[in-house]
Amino acid sequence: MTAATGESVLQGQGVLGRPLDSREDPHLLRGEAKYVADIDLPGTAHMAILGSPVAHARILSIDTKAAEQLPGVLKVATAADFTDVMPLPCIWIPGGVESHFPPHPYGLPGARPVLTGDAVRHVGDPIAAVVAETPRQAAAALAAIDVEYEPLPVVTRADEALREGAPQLHEAVPGNLNAYWTCGDKDRTDAAIAAAEVTVELDLVNQRTINSPIEPRGAVGDYDPATGEYTLYASTQGPHNHRFLLAALVLGIPFNKLRVVAPTVGGSFGTKGYLYPDMPLVLLLSKALGRPVKWVDTRTGLMNSTVQGRDHRQHVTLAGTRDGRITAVRATSHANLGAYPSTIGPGVATALMGRSISGMYDIDAAFCEVYAAFTNTVPLGAQRGSGRAEAAFLMERLVDRYASEIGMDPAAVRRKNLVPKEKFPYDNGLGWTYDSGDYRLNFDRAIELSGYADMPARKTEARARGKRLGVGIASYVAVCGVGPSTRMSKEGMLGGTWESANIRVHPTGEVTVTVGSASTGQSHGTVFAQVAADELGIDPDTVQVYEGDTLKAPYGQGTYGSRSYSMAAPAIALTARKIKSKLVKAGAVFLGVPEEKVVYAGGKVYEEGNEENTKTFAELAMAMWYGWGLPPEIEPALDETTHFDPPDFNYPFGTHVAVVEIDELTGETEVVAYTAVDDAGNIGNPKVVLGQIEGSIVHGLGQALMEHAEYDENGLLLSSDLGHYALPRAFDAPFFSLDKTTTPSPHNPLGAKGAGEIATVPPAAAVVNAVVDALSDLGVIHIDMPVTPEKVWRRLRGEAR
Amino acid sequence: MDLTLNVNGRPREFTAEPNELLVERLRDGLGLTGTKVGCDTGQCGSCVVRLDGRSAKSCLVLTVAAAGSEVTTIEGVATPGGELTGLQEALRQEHGTQCGFCTPGMVMALGELVENTADGDAPTEPEIREWLTGNLCRCTGYHGVVRGVQRACASARAAAPGTDAVCDAMADAVTAASGQEG
Repeated sequence: MTAATGESVLQGQGVLGRPLDSREDPHLLRGEAKYVADIDLPGTAHMAILGSPVAHARILSIDTKAAEQLPGVLKVATAADFTDVMPLPCIWIPGGVESHFPPHPYGLPGARPVLTGDAVRHVGDPIAAVVAETPRQAAAALAAIDVEYEPLPVVTRADEALREGAPQLHEAVPGNLNAYWTCGDKDRTDAAIAAAEVTVELDLVNQRTINSPIEPRGAVGDYDPATGEYTLYASTQGPHNHRFLLAALVLGIPFNKLRVVAPTVGGSFGTKGYLYPDMPLVLLLSKALGRPVKWVDTRTGLMNSTVQGRDHRQHVTLAGTRDGRITAVRATSHANLGAYPSTIGPGVATALMGRSISGMYDIDAAFCEVYAAFTNTVPLGAQRGSGRAEAAFLMERLVDRYASEIGMDPAAVRRKNLVPKEKFPYDNGLGWTYDSGDYRLNFDRAIELSGYADMPARKTEARARGKRLGVGIASYVAVCGVGPSTRMSKEGMLGGTWESANIRVHPTGEVTVTVGSASTGQSHGTVFAQVAADELGIDPDTVQVYEGDTLKAPYGQGTYGSRSYSMAAPAIALTARKIKSKLVKAGAVFLGVPEEKVVYAGGKVYEEGNEENTKTFAELAMAMWYGWGLPPEIEPALDETTHFDPPDFNYPFGTHVAVVEIDELTGETEVVAYTAVDDAGNIGNPKVVLGQIEGSIVHGLGQALMEHAEYDENGLLLSSDLGHYALPRAFDAPFFSLDKTTTPSPHNPLGAKGAGEIATVPPAAAVVNAVVDALSDLGVIHIDMPVTPEKVWRRLRGEAR
Repeated sequence: MDLTLNVNGRPREFTAEPNELLVERLRDGLGLTGTKVGCDTGQCGSCVVRLDGRSAKSCLVLTVAAAGSEVTTIEGVATPGGELTGLQEALRQEHGTQCGFCTPGMVMALGELVENTADGDAPTEPEIREWLTGNLCRCTGYHGVVRGVQRACASARAAAPGTDAVCDAMADAVTAASGQEG
């Protein structure tokens, strides 16, 4: 490895593709950044929410009188206070909406009310809100609210919720079935499986997990009676989305009376893009009390309220030839949506997972069906790599099972079935058309970098130390860049999914970029400045980036599904091109030459063949500000906006190889080496992406080895604090061997693909494959996550699963 | 109770309830919001401050129990907008912070490790990871943080390739792959 030279330019001629230090970091390192909990508006009152202590019950009565008398208490609100407020909408309804003007989701069966009044359906289900002078007073008053419950039977598993006689959650949803959803060709797949030389099957549990951003969510509502304007400060991934959902679909207030601000947001990984009861509550209660109202969640509160991830129970089948050619894959999944349809949870559990199951492989017949059911658990939503990680897990487990069945090396089976380079764009038969890729180049690089050929010798060496060494491979394709709005409407998404950017060039030549996205820790301020600076040929230090405030930023959809660099950054690049194009026209005037003789390069315009006749960017900026001498067809000033709606998604991919060692005495699994070669197309800032890849892998290792949102038979979340829900700590992951390949996406002007969360997709599969490899001589063909020492220890002693 | 704390070198006098937590005093009472609350139960480490020089989780300390102590918070490490310490600068160069919520606690906890590291006696990678046990981060996977500490402890710099070197190596691979892609 060489020292940093600062010359590793990937594209353009300037600063894009260079590992610039993140300009946000000093602010964060000094503890100056303001998160929601740090906002302290004058006169703020504090809100606490009473969550249900039981998982399922009818509410017979709620008595708030005692609570209202406690010191400092200003207001105790229940469902009865909000009869004119609509329930929280679900905007991704699997199966598709019927028109561009779908019915108002008010009528959506099972939609969550702001506060529940008739029944509670999961532990933590919000029943009442208290506002008091201090946070402690508000929390203390919760205990004085007397709720009478009539207990109802509880169900926490999707498959059990669909059985006859199962407890019913919503009157409007008989049988608890939210959606039966399919993709692919069932008949063709069934026929291929029936005719196959070899079939293998697995029953898999992709366990429920909790995203666990280190910042719990929070919200501050501030109503101004003088203007009738509401302001919401919230830890959100998408302030514009939240504005739309709250103004138009929940509160029914004029759009232009609601401002949503995302301050610094302390991680999200999917969870903070959702609409939660606290958001309308702080706004409504601020209006009722005439004071700002602030709510900050606790960790246990987060674990019982913020959307959780994964949670599929699956029966999966793969068919192939004796010599290793995969001919079909089929999956039947029971997805656990929790007690209510979250903002986009039903779509995550169906399309994102189902259309992704064939991974990097060229398979002739594929089919997936999902039964999405309501249960007495916290609502389901996205979790870093959502849907795609569940898909990769089932496919990569199946490939290993198949390789074992036919006695072939798992790497050889994979290599034989990769989608060949010449087949792009590749229709996977499940609804995705992969944009670009060189899967073999990527796969071979990962295998080589991991030292795969040396594994037999390493296994022997480890055995001599009382360790069983196992190696596991997992490849993946992760649909990103949500996305093409019309296409998403066909997936059932209510709302546009384009992204936007505005560029203003100030008279002194500095530039402000404003985007509709909003960072939750991805260094947007650094990377987006690089994009604009690269296009305009100027110093990135002269570019300032703003986002996260609906009053200041153009409409946008926010950050989710690793979309910002392949959606917002292209919008910036296209806007910069508009600026350049205008400067070429204006340059002709200022240089006194025909437009076709004007060249824009290196942050200036000049006359072709006569570089002496030139104007710098700063000179042009001032001249455009004055506007003197411009013909009528050229408007003064430089202020352009683009709304970017891509022609299709983009499809990053990659191959990971995990090496584990299992202690034969304790059953403990240690990841001793991990190789990842990911392809995210052209990358804007490798330093930022490197950090995201590393963090994503560790997140995936967490699911494989320790994370589990475990509910008991009464629907109580047992792992409801960080003492019982294990997150990876610093000693849980070695340094990784990382590399990448680059196949630009044709679907945006930067050739970018999603990057932020893609590396969370394969690690769970790679690690479980490695563990099964290490235990294969004991007859182990699968082991459920999380792979705890106890589970492995029992297998080492010959116990069945 | 009336008591005094020396916070970031300055005596602060106030009245505190017996059950008040130090983190509440710092954040709500003194407005020092750089110290974060991530879990309330002492597991995440976002609230770490230095108490008489030792790193301590301020959500597990009663204000009255800290009376008379020297408390240093993140605001006492570098002034707002001011120059970063060597550790902070190293964490910046290795991009050891993403969303930044766990970062102040990390800086406070790691500050003790780095300050107590004599030149030539840098902590090993396992020692750094062990020291970080009390601080949770969900964004970085800790790698940038560990590299940052290695960079901060001068003599450990050669122990592992830094972030720039990893990026550079990956960039080389990109160029090669792009070439093949045409």
